[in-house]
Amino acid sequence: MSKRHLVIAVSLVALLSACGVIRGDDEDKKGAVTTGVTSEPCPIPVDRNKGCIYLGTISDLTSGPFAALAVPITQAQKAFWNRVNKAGGIGGKYEVDVQAYVRDNKYNPETHNQVYQEIKNNVLGLAQTLGSPTTAAIIADLKANNVVSAPASWTSAWEFEDVIVETGANYCVESMNAVDYAVEAYKPKTVMAVHYAGDYGADAAAGAKAAAERNGLEFTAVETPSGATEQGRAITEITKNKPDLVILTTGPADAAAVIGQSAAAGFKGRFIGTAPTWNPALLKSPAAPAILALYEQSSPGKPWGADTPGHKAMREALGNVTPSDGYTSGWAWSYPLKAALEKMVASGDVSRKGLLAAVKSLNTVDYEGMLPPEAGNFAGDPNTATFRQTLINKPDTAAPTGVTIVKDFYTGPTAQSYTMDGPCFGKL
Amino acid sequence: MKGVLESLVRGLGNGSVYALLALGFVIVYKATRVISFAQPAFMIAGAVAVSHLAGTTGFYLAVPLAALLVAGLALGVERVAIRPMVGRPVFVVAIITLGIDVVVRVVVNGFIGLDVRQVGDPWGLSLVEVGGLAVQQRWIAMLLTTAVLVSLLFAFFRYTRYGLAMRAAAFDQETALAQGVSVGMVFALSWALAGGLAAIAGTFAGTGQGVDQLTWIIALKALPAIIVGGLDSLGGAVIGGLAIGVVESLVQSYQGDLAPWLGQNFAVVTPYAVMLLVLLVRPYGLFGTPEVERV
Repeated sequence: MSKRHLVIAVSLVALLSACGVIRGDDEDKKGAVTTGVTSEPCPIPVDRNKGCIYLGTISDLTSGPFAALAVPITQAQKAFWNRVNKAGGIGGKYEVDVQAYVRDNKYNPETHNQVYQEIKNNVLGLAQTLGSPTTAAIIADLKANNVVSAPASWTSAWEFEDVIVETGANYCVESMNAVDYAVEAYKPKTVMAVHYAGDYGADAAAGAKAAAERNGLEFTAVETPSGATEQGRAITEITKNKPDLVILTTGPADAAAVIGQSAAAGFKGRFIGTAPTWNPALLKSPAAPAILALYEQSSPGKPWGADTPGHKAMREALGNVTPSDGYTSGWAWSYPLKAALEKMVASGDVSRKGLLAAVKSLNTVDYEGMLPPEAGNFAGDPNTATFRQTLINKPDTAAPTGVTIVKDFYTGPTAQSYTMDGPCFGKL
Repeated sequence: MKGVLESLVRGLGNGSVYALLALGFVIVYKATRVISFAQPAFMIAGAVAVSHLAGTTGFYLAVPLAALLVAGLALGVERVAIRPMVGRPVFVVAIITLGIDVVVRVVVNGFIGLDVRQVGDPWGLSLVEVGGLAVQQRWIAMLLTTAVLVSLLFAFFRYTRYGLAMRAAAFDQETALAQGVSVGMVFALSWALAGGLAAIAGTFAGTGQGVDQLTWIIALKALPAIIVGGLDSLGGAVIGGLAIGVVESLVQSYQGDLAPWLGQNFAVVTPYAVMLLVLLVRPYGLFGTPEVERV
């Protein structure tokens, strides 16, 4: 063998070895049951004799627009799974770890995809994938690899994805119910949707449009960019056209800018904002008087202080924290995943495919009273499985998260009769 | 007509924030020939400092205190990170300022936390009636403060020794050095001034709506303002800032009716559209000094 051939042969062996072909890296890691599940205990175990199911978390943890909600969501989920582990884990065989693979997406779809690629081979599913556009960046991969994920967003697109286990009504249904509620309470004749672009804002605006059409109301949609100083146009449109009802889908700071400055300019109509428009800190902003006078919040779930076993367990598990409905949402979002994991372990097929099969067989989920059990229907077709009940809250300085319920879970006539045959935001 | 005037006042209010920021950019540029991308960080640092101080000292004392604090911070940054780079290509220094911006903002974000912080200003969203127009008080406050600051600044450059030194150094560094001007001092002073102005701009950007971790983005609108006004013209920075504010506000109010085919949110890009238009007609900005090169 010439020297040259020797060099080539040696480099080839080195290359294959580095790729894991010769060393046998393809074999499962020690103790691995399947991707993201080990027979070894979790890093912080309650019971060392149980295996560990790893779930990833991709959230907006530092500098994105929803960080004020995302951090409590993530903390609540940590507490939720800790409680599950303390109560005997999943099927008595596994505990769940949601702390080993937590990543920050900065609410940026590229970052979201990048950090997802980092962790995807180490987790069975995702305990949280925050945001609609961000999750859209990884949805193809989630589907291709059967990665069951709990979203932290309420877009109607999730009704059509098997791997996404959503909790609570989507923005589209929420805004249909908001308009139907307002029709009863305030008898509006004109409705304006002030919304961000994309599958958060446009989803809600499409719902408002459907409800306005059904009720024979005049409807306009005003798309607005994010940033409190960028709301000038939205404010002008509101004060110029004077709609009787404004359906808001923005972040909290922008909502405050729109409500506060419209009211300052003499606007006296009503505002109903989707759940993410609210943040208790708004009650300390200069817009507070206007918010107290004109604003209500539509919501897919009851606020922090509600009296249900689930809310109580959450408050006990979290202890002495500043109340935020980020906690409430994060906690509630975890129930379907818990139900699916239990079903998967009971079936004996502990794998991504097994988990997806378990999800598809869920007709109801026990939310411990936080939501009706039928909110956890993942078995039916999207139109029958879509949960259509939402609530209306009003700002209340005495309430722990600044809002109290004015109308409990209800389905308005529009949502009742609406056929969910595709994501709403495409129909605006 | 009333709508136009109200829109105009809103534009002048926001524009004065851009103008203060733009002045900072121009002062640093004139002294060092570098565009300092650290201005957004100093702006947000100022607003956050006021939001923490206002509770104990009251808003009116908190603003100058914060301006001094941030000026001190800018001075320190200049001494540590910029001065050692004297004589190096300006491009390198500009990139360093980008790094400084990121570092300072990360630290400041720690002081913001996750919620919106209120700067504790006395105006809130209150209105005042001016000749039949309902005008937000904070816009008038912004405009007045900017007018006072700009007058003081121009007086400083015109009538004080340090101002003269800065103008001399800006005109020709070597000659100024030969005449005994401490160019190092000029650099330091320009950074401090830019930091202080940015702090005040940040505070005003936070009035009525508070500051959060994304407020710094407003500072980027000062970039088209300085290009419009001319990179090396202080007056140009003020006019550029106000012009950008007014055009943006008018477009927000009227583009939907007059030119709906431009899409719903054309206002977001108007500062840059105006910048491109001005560049087409006057490549050195409205008041910039044209460079003459003889070949």
